[in-house]
Amino acid sequence: MKYHGIELGVDFCGLKFQNPFILAAAPPTDDLDMVRSAFEAGWAGAVLKTTSVEGTIVDLVYPMISSLDFEGKKLVGLGNIDLISEHHIDEIEKRVGILKSEFPSKIVGASIMGTKKEDWQCLVQRLEKAGVDLIECSFSCPQGSMGEEPGAMLAQSIPATEMVTGWVKEAARRVPVIIKVTPQVTNIVDVAGAVKRGGADGICASNTIPSLMGIDIHSLTPHPDVRGKSSYSGMSGAAIKPITLRTIAEISKAIDIPITGTGGPTTWKDAVEFLLVGATTVQFATAVMRYGYDIIEDLTSGLAFYMEEKGFKSVVDIIGKSLPNIVTHGELERKTVISKIDEQLCIKCDACYITCRDGGHQAIKLEREDRLPEVDEEKCTGCGLCVTICPVDAITLKEKIVKCKM
Amino acid sequence: MKLSFKETKPVMTQTQAVLEASRCLLCEDAPCNKGCPAGIDVKKFIRAIKFENFRHSMDLIKENNILPGVCGIVCPREVLCEKECSNTELSTPIKIGDLQRFVAEKEYTAKHKLSPTIKKNKTKVVVIGSGPAGLSCAAELATRGFEVTIFERRERLGGVLTYGIPAYRLPKRVVKQEINYIKKLGVKARKGTVVDSLDDVLNSGFRAVFIGVGLGKPMFCGIPGEKLKGVVEGVKFLEEVNENPKKVVIGERVIVIGGGSVAMDCACSALRVGARHVDLVCLEAPNELPAFREEIERAQNEGINIHTRFMPLRIIGKDGKVAGLKAIKIDWKIPGRFLPDNAVKIKGSNLTLVGDAVIEAIGQAPEPSLLFKGLKTRRGYLVVNKDMMTSKKGVFAGGDIIISKEGRTVVQSVAEGKKAGEAIAAYLKNSSKFK
Repeated sequence: MKYHGIELGVDFCGLKFQNPFILAAAPPTDDLDMVRSAFEAGWAGAVLKTTSVEGTIVDLVYPMISSLDFEGKKLVGLGNIDLISEHHIDEIEKRVGILKSEFPSKIVGASIMGTKKEDWQCLVQRLEKAGVDLIECSFSCPQGSMGEEPGAMLAQSIPATEMVTGWVKEAARRVPVIIKVTPQVTNIVDVAGAVKRGGADGICASNTIPSLMGIDIHSLTPHPDVRGKSSYSGMSGAAIKPITLRTIAEISKAIDIPITGTGGPTTWKDAVEFLLVGATTVQFATAVMRYGYDIIEDLTSGLAFYMEEKGFKSVVDIIGKSLPNIVTHGELERKTVISKIDEQLCIKCDACYITCRDGGHQAIKLEREDRLPEVDEEKCTGCGLCVTICPVDAITLKEKIVKCKM
Repeated sequence: MKLSFKETKPVMTQTQAVLEASRCLLCEDAPCNKGCPAGIDVKKFIRAIKFENFRHSMDLIKENNILPGVCGIVCPREVLCEKECSNTELSTPIKIGDLQRFVAEKEYTAKHKLSPTIKKNKTKVVVIGSGPAGLSCAAELATRGFEVTIFERRERLGGVLTYGIPAYRLPKRVVKQEINYIKKLGVKARKGTVVDSLDDVLNSGFRAVFIGVGLGKPMFCGIPGEKLKGVVEGVKFLEEVNENPKKVVIGERVIVIGGGSVAMDCACSALRVGARHVDLVCLEAPNELPAFREEIERAQNEGINIHTRFMPLRIIGKDGKVAGLKAIKIDWKIPGRFLPDNAVKIKGSNLTLVGDAVIEAIGQAPEPSLLFKGLKTRRGYLVVNKDMMTSKKGVFAGGDIIISKEGRTVVQSVAEGKKAGEAIAAYLKNSSKFK
């Protein structure tokens, strides 16, 4: 697909995506008409919400959603105690067929979860027969994989990950299989390694993060309040983006496997960041739940304009471009920098002064008649704390010029 | 404080704009969208700012308004898009006008090229007049591939934007940027060219005409003393100020008559070209003034003495020159009808102002023109149908020159110009079928 003459198409696991933007397996893909709307809006593909074999009991509780607010800002993170789809494979087979016939150029994926080998393999075979383009295996639902160890996630066990990946790959003849992992592990590279050894075609990094969303300090019940009790949520949204970026980067640097990135992207800029650390496609859920399917316009145009500006001819050219810039702490250059305050931009809020006084090195002085803060170049270490706090971006770091004493 | 013609209101910084945009509730049934005469998808352009996709934001605005920078400054947002903002219930309305201005400023100064690719056709259309309506119509047609030529009687394009609104309110740089963009779309212009025969135009290869000549005839109160030296007409005064403020000579004490935008512009401009004291006399009460809030606030802040509900009686003269103005307090016979014949003079409430110049800015009317020969008019204004077509086939009109119930604002003219452009495109498509 082209936007303003910029080609946004990308190949992932041998599939042609019109653009790198996909709907993740989540509530926005749990209804046929909803997916239709999304495809019409311009999404390149969708992973239908995780399904299971007939007879699997999916016992939902309500309410299931809660929000992490911060200083008046709603939904910095979104918590859910949702489960997999209530629609079983018989229904999903039908939807796949309908969607593929109505939208042949879109990529229709389906997410699956089983409890035993026969289930996993049966799901793969039936979806393949229904004409699905891509199968995603949820090894990482925070409510547990309903597997051998109830309550634990499959992807938290290296042997189980490799074994179950092997099962699904054994059953899949034509369709690429990807494994959705959790960042909630000691070493994500080990998990990705198991996914690779199991023979998966790609990896989806990564799922929501097990969280306690907050507690009502009057009722003493955590969120969401289900008649006085609650449970751990899976958190998504902007709050988890840094964790996801780290997860993708670590996998990308260590394991040669195609990655579809998810977990916290909202804007085209976020998506570009996901691509820069090695994702080939980016999956969205929370942003769509908040703003609607038509944010795809902002995503495609934003990516196209970025590519034009930076001279990227193809989405592939962006993928992994920031990885060489992620090094170990020991490899970082040691050089002294100090803060510099732009007096024209400064609005004299003193935030830098307070933060440096009590969280830094007392290197910002507030002694001038005109109330403008000043940097004490001897004391400033260049830690960057004040830079992050300044509300008008008036502080930058510059190289410290060391005067030699003759 | 010395007043200048430099714009006083700073453009938002990116940090401010993103912060402001993130306050937007992004209503599905957005009342701001409905409040925009040009039909801009306000909610979406704000969302694009929130997502830091400024170029897309600009594209969204330009889909419906080819003058985003101009309208981001001069639109009376408090009575349009910002009026119904849902955020008012939480705190204050989103600063929609300022956000639009920010996007325009950012994108016009960005390095990337803004012009989209256009598939051209060879059909020629003429636009007469290069004010907001003419520019908007020309841009719409050019975007659709038509070969558009603007005929402008003056030396510079822009009409009221160039010659009317003073630079402290609308920087000429912004006007030039937008006109340059329209030229990039392929619009050609013949300046200093008066057209006085529609048939000549239609017989010389042009398939359709758009008339957007605005209102050229100044109105006067018709009171004694108007022939005195020192009486000037508002639009003419602003034109001189816009040409070269250094050349304008006005007295030390200036009296402005009128309560609309032009009157406020005249009063504030007079202060900037040497007047030390400016009185403004108008029929309307403060809450009845046709000028917009920002304009009135500026005049008040700059020290203009506004005398509301006063009717000028005569201009006082001395040695053939203006020496002052006599006025009287009035009330309305019928409330809500702000015209002199509806006024009741309140006895004993005379006002005498001393001044050496009187600027009359009480409105403009259509200037009779040979161009209108054979076209249906009412009170001198052109009559158009719902497709903006005049009584003559292939001749369309929009902007201040058409008879209209809508308010007369720049954005209204932009909307009409675009609508006419669309209608002309449809008309030419249909008429070529029958050829």
